Amino acid sequence: MIEFKNVNKWFGKLHVLNNINLKISKGEVLVICGPSGSGKSTLIRCINRLEKIQDGEIIVNSSLVHKKSSNLTQLRGEIGFVFQQFHLYPHMTVLQNIMLAPVNVKKISKKEAEKISMKKLDQVGLTGKSGAYPAQLSGGQQQRVAIARGLAMSPEIMLFDEPTSALDPEMIGEVLDVMVNLVSEGMTMCVVTHEMGFAKKVADRVLFMDEGMIVETGTPDEFFDSPKTDRAAEFISKILTH
Amino acid sequence: MMAFYFSRLVEIYPFFLKGLLMTSKIAFISLISCTLIGFVLGIARSSNNLILKRVVGVYVAFVRGTPFVVQIFIIFFILPEWGLQLEAFPAALLAMAIMGSAFICEIVAGGINSIPKGQWEAATSSGLTLIQQLRLVIVPQAMKVILPPLVGQYVLLIKDTSVVSVIGVMELTRVGWVTVVRIPEGLMVFSLVGVLYFSISYPLILLSNYLERRMAVQ
Amino acid sequence: MLDDFNFRVIMEYLPQFLIGLRSTFLISIVSIALALATGIIACACRISGIKIIKYPAIAYIEIIRSTPLLVQIYFLYFGLPTLGLRIPEIQTGIIALMLNSGAYIAEIIRAGINSVDEGQLEAGISSGLNYVQRMRFIILPQALGVTIPPLLGQNIVLVKDSALLSLISVMELTRCGQTMTSERFMPAEAFFTVAFFYMCIYFCLKAMADWSQRKLIFREAY
Repeated sequence: MIEFKNVNKWFGKLHVLNNINLKISKGEVLVICGPSGSGKSTLIRCINRLEKIQDGEIIVNSSLVHKKSSNLTQLRGEIGFVFQQFHLYPHMTVLQNIMLAPVNVKKISKKEAEKISMKKLDQVGLTGKSGAYPAQLSGGQQQRVAIARGLAMSPEIMLFDEPTSALDPEMIGEVLDVMVNLVSEGMTMCVVTHEMGFAKKVADRVLFMDEGMIVETGTPDEFFDSPKTDRAAEFISKILTH
Repeated sequence: MMAFYFSRLVEIYPFFLKGLLMTSKIAFISLISCTLIGFVLGIARSSNNLILKRVVGVYVAFVRGTPFVVQIFIIFFILPEWGLQLEAFPAALLAMAIMGSAFICEIVAGGINSIPKGQWEAATSSGLTLIQQLRLVIVPQAMKVILPPLVGQYVLLIKDTSVVSVIGVMELTRVGWVTVVRIPEGLMVFSLVGVLYFSISYPLILLSNYLERRMAVQ
Repeated sequence: MLDDFNFRVIMEYLPQFLIGLRSTFLISIVSIALALATGIIACACRISGIKIIKYPAIAYIEIIRSTPLLVQIYFLYFGLPTLGLRIPEIQTGIIALMLNSGAYIAEIIRAGINSVDEGQLEAGISSGLNYVQRMRFIILPQALGVTIPPLLGQNIVLVKDSALLSLISVMELTRCGQTMTSERFMPAEAFFTVAFFYMCIYFCLKAMADWSQRKLIFREAY
């Protein structure tokens, strides 16, 4: 479903993605972890071309993402993206935030979009909040709205870029619960996170990155209990003790 | 005809240089005096002394609320009635100092007020005097906020010196105005005047843009 | 000094001042409307990325910002006739104010657009909105909030700038003061009255600007 072939990317001199080869199949849940600056966010931002790559190929659903293709818009519609800092539109209500893309990109009627949006809002457990503005919500609620916004386009893939890192500890659970529910519905997901509990519970595969390279992949149990490389072992011990 | 006027204009170029010199002189003296007075007023405006705050506030409101040209007329025509006879040049400097310091006062006060209360409290609890608190802790931090708009204000002040031409100070704009009577090529004459102003103020605009970007990064 | 302040003369000239006030008011409103249109167009050209309209827009904005308004006024006042264009002083003045404020407004709008967090743009991109849609639904509504207070500030500047039109004999508020000074030689009465009227306009506009500052700025809530 998603395929990286020899992908390279530089920020100036910094080699942020170093010869990445990766296949993600339909329905798979992939957790990406690694120290900060390891290129993990860049990796998933490349999937919907928030970042351009300089070398290699990225194929999503048999279309080439790295090429200047005209149906990039349609492609992005098929991929939901959730940011670390939520990035809800502060001048719109929760409902308007969710409806914006379905109405303007998919061109479905407002009535239809509202129905879908309310359903998605229900799914993230915020039924009563449709009229609220982002500033009136807690961080956890805002992030759940952001997930609903991504889901409203009925995407086949959901990408999460450290969805819980900006949250207070007591709010992390509610967001992870929503994500676990998504997994049980069979969504294909790529999640950049350090939440080990989440990874162990639902991930099919854990991918460890450092200095722009994929250092290690494995099932969550393999990875967390018996990492193959020293770098991974060191990283795991750090996130365990903090 | 245009070529003829152009050659006349070239002939009298020293006249324009004198104007440029006068403009630079007024601008230079004004920028220094405005900055000094502006900082003192700005610190007073951001102080806890209510009376001081109000008095400076009224001063600032009066200056900001009226056109500079009206302020010049008041200084040049009314002070003599009260027995204070001023030549055009010192009157121009006085008007610039009053006007410029009020604007800089607001910039400085804004900068100082942007510093969190905790910084004052930390400085107080380590036993610094008020002057030390300002000099060592508050103003150095506030400078980041103050500097970009301050340089922007300098550009405005340089341009505002053109208005003192109305009381007959022979600066750049006045030179243009006098010349255009003899050489009736308004576009040419005032293009030249414009170019000369551009040569002083554009470097400052670039500096202001640069500072804004740099401070935004930090 | 206030003992011999002659209120009787002020009352005598009051009708003239009111006409001048109305004139300043009308000049300002027309100029602001035109300047806003000019500024929006100049800003659109400036951020368009199309070179043949981008660079002229930059040149226009930078030339205006680095030369004094008074020189621009004289440029048009003495310059337009040499091009064979003879228009009333008041129109010359309005054109000058329009061009001058237009450049500043273009920069205000651009700053407003740049102030919108990049994440907002990315959120729009990743849900598949195109450039026009992102501008219309995400960037401009938020930029508007941060733009309105400085725009009102620019209006204050423009009203005060319109006083310079008195120097090309446009009959507005400041010109009334000059007339009264030359007819009766009472500069104190004349210019303090003029100043008083400007202060009234200033306080009204300032109150609006402060109010909009409090009300209109949306911030992304973290």
